Amino acid sequence: MSGRGRAWGWAAALRGGSTTPWQAWAEDGVGEPFAERLPGAQQLALLRRLNVHAAAAGRTVPAATAARILAAGVSGRGRSDLPIAGVDDERFGPRPVDPDTLPDDELLRVASALIADDVAATAGEPAPERSLIERARAVRRPWVRSFVIVGMQWRADAVRAELVAHGHRPGGRRPTAYLLADDLGTVLAQAWTARSFDQGGVTWRHFLRSFAGAGHLPPRADLARMARSAAHKYGAGNVRVVLDPALLADELGVRAIAGPPHLGAHAVDLVRRVGEPLGLLVANDARPGLLLDTLGVRLAGQGGPAPTVTPRWAGWLSSEAERTRHEIAAAGYPVLGDLDQLLPRPLGTDGVLPVDAEVLSLALGLLLTPVTAPVQEEG
Amino acid sequence: MSRRVLLHVGTPKTGTSYLQDVLFQNRPRLLKQGVSYPADRFDAHFLAALDLMRLRWGGLEGEAVGSWDRLAAQVREHDGTSIISHEILATASRTQVARALASLGHRPGGDTSDGGTEVHLIVSVRDLVRQIPAEWQENVKHRAGFGFGRFLELIQDPDRGHRVGAWFWGVQEIPDILARWGADLPPERVHLVTVPPAGGPPDLLWRRFSEAFDLDRLDLELTTERANPSLGVPESALLRRINRVAARDLPPQHYRPLVRELLAHQTLSKRTKSARLGLPPDQFPWVHALTDSWITELTERGYDVVGDLEDLRGAPAPTRKWVDPDAPPERQVAAAAVDAIRALLLENAKTETENERLRAKLDEARRDLVRARTPRLLRSMEWTVERLEASPPGRKALGAYRAARGRNSRPA
Repeated sequence: MSGRGRAWGWAAALRGGSTTPWQAWAEDGVGEPFAERLPGAQQLALLRRLNVHAAAAGRTVPAATAARILAAGVSGRGRSDLPIAGVDDERFGPRPVDPDTLPDDELLRVASALIADDVAATAGEPAPERSLIERARAVRRPWVRSFVIVGMQWRADAVRAELVAHGHRPGGRRPTAYLLADDLGTVLAQAWTARSFDQGGVTWRHFLRSFAGAGHLPPRADLARMARSAAHKYGAGNVRVVLDPALLADELGVRAIAGPPHLGAHAVDLVRRVGEPLGLLVANDARPGLLLDTLGVRLAGQGGPAPTVTPRWAGWLSSEAERTRHEIAAAGYPVLGDLDQLLPRPLGTDGVLPVDAEVLSLALGLLLTPVTAPVQEEG
Repeated sequence: MSRRVLLHVGTPKTGTSYLQDVLFQNRPRLLKQGVSYPADRFDAHFLAALDLMRLRWGGLEGEAVGSWDRLAAQVREHDGTSIISHEILATASRTQVARALASLGHRPGGDTSDGGTEVHLIVSVRDLVRQIPAEWQENVKHRAGFGFGRFLELIQDPDRGHRVGAWFWGVQEIPDILARWGADLPPERVHLVTVPPAGGPPDLLWRRFSEAFDLDRLDLELTTERANPSLGVPESALLRRINRVAARDLPPQHYRPLVRELLAHQTLSKRTKSARLGLPPDQFPWVHALTDSWITELTERGYDVVGDLEDLRGAPAPTRKWVDPDAPPERQVAAAAVDAIRALLLENAKTETENERLRAKLDEARRDLVRARTPRLLRSMEWTVERLEASPPGRKALGAYRAARGRNSRPA
């Protein structure tokens, strides 16, 4: 029996929703080719995993989605489409593999490229029209004091947008600069989150290692430097460090400030992975907004807890936090909250890191219900 | 519809930079003779390759968005021969190859009867004995911090699980590259250009390229050069050490001009007396065995060979002592480091001079801005005071005015 015919039979069954692994596929389960080339092991394995995911949610994978996966490429550097073990005796090229033994990371390379296609497809979609109440809320209040929001980028962008929606536009003459701050572990996690949306790129582990190993903070997490920069621009007397958002809300006369959506470590890792192939589909400056409007919304509240610094870097974290606290205290900026909140919270024994299996699970959800489709309740 | 496309997909380190530079510099001449090399910048085909293969490349990919489709459209619009050349295309997957060929107007099986494009695949190839050290050096010139020994381990991992091994074989495993790119092309439209062994006539490789690309009948200017110079053992070792301590602090936009261009290409590559990188003697047996299997396979496939497949065997293991880049002669590394420091100091001085010039220009612009923003009345008053202070009667008159005004308004 031809191994290739058996592989085509398996691929056809996967298109129909089968969840049978390759090794368990019947010897006589042969099929006819339905495409020019037999899909690679990564694509077939991803489709099987999606079938399993859909079955667990009581759903089926749409035929168009299955076809997309089987025709997809593998994004980024690394192994190209892999041949399947037991199909052909290829003398050259990468060694054939059992698709079901491929690491989740390999499947994520295919999934990320497909999700990036979906995200790119939303470019140019008109923004949802605001309701009359929303428009009324956003009307500028001339009596609101002049202010700007600086500090932790991920939080500052969200707070700024929230305030604008309530008629509090940043800017004006001699504004007060509110520097949003938090404990350094949170600041670092949000710096990585902001970077993942902006440019994709490095893993949380690599992000930490590259800065902790070099002995300095990433620019997006260096609060003391941000405070100096704000003091230079707006005057030292006009900089306030915000460690309690409720006090900022009081100062600005709004009921509350919700801040950015929570994206767990696995969710941010997926955004990072999607950002890479997306960088070749849309202009750089369009990428963060697109990711925020699609994955930022869909993954809000998902992906587990936020990433934390691993105990290996506890010493570095602690000394950088002390330095930040000392520099901000020495500069004498007024503080909304307690300056000791800059110091790191106790670290767990292992730290929270993105896990490929969890990231893949989120990716499967996005393949089953793409960002281009209206959100439906699963199950 | 373009009738013919010469698609050169690699491999790296086979004189591709020179070929691409000649083609780029000669675009108008080529076009007059019916050959299009569609590129508005020298790296246009590189960007198109990044786009086709969705490869991230130190931020450059941002400039690549949509560039393959634009390139393919230019090719389709040209009625005649078009040339596309970039060596990283060698690593394209079968899916990407199918997309590329279809976008160029290729029909299944290379059918041209119905207006399909006649695609000729050209792959320039060099022996692994030279390619392996050259690829490691290329990694080092792209921020890598791992040693040559580690590189050899990675490329011998049969699973190719590490990106370094996957990339190496993606761009160097000739039978696989040709199987991916040439699967839907008649073998007579697949051309292998072999790089001659070292020490042969210097223009032999160009003559082979000319033959493969049908350029020898054309009038071209060959004086230009965009060489990709190689480094010796101590220089490569130095660069690797620099990468280990500094690469993470240097973003790509600074690494490229400072480390790769200034240090590697403009400074360290000038040190030609140091030991050259080479394959360790104990690696020759597997490399030669693999090469033998490649030559047998390529002969069977019946491709058009420009040169000689025997060129792929490479040199035998040298009898002279092999110099290990992971344990280089430290005095030579130190000497290379001094050259590097000198280059960086000179570059820094140049930058400082430029900074001073720009600072002066900025100050001047600021003054002009202040002047432009100063009200006309104030400016005429300043002009009057300046004129009065320039002559004794003027100064007297000014003194009288100040005394009458009752306070000293002279500048401090």
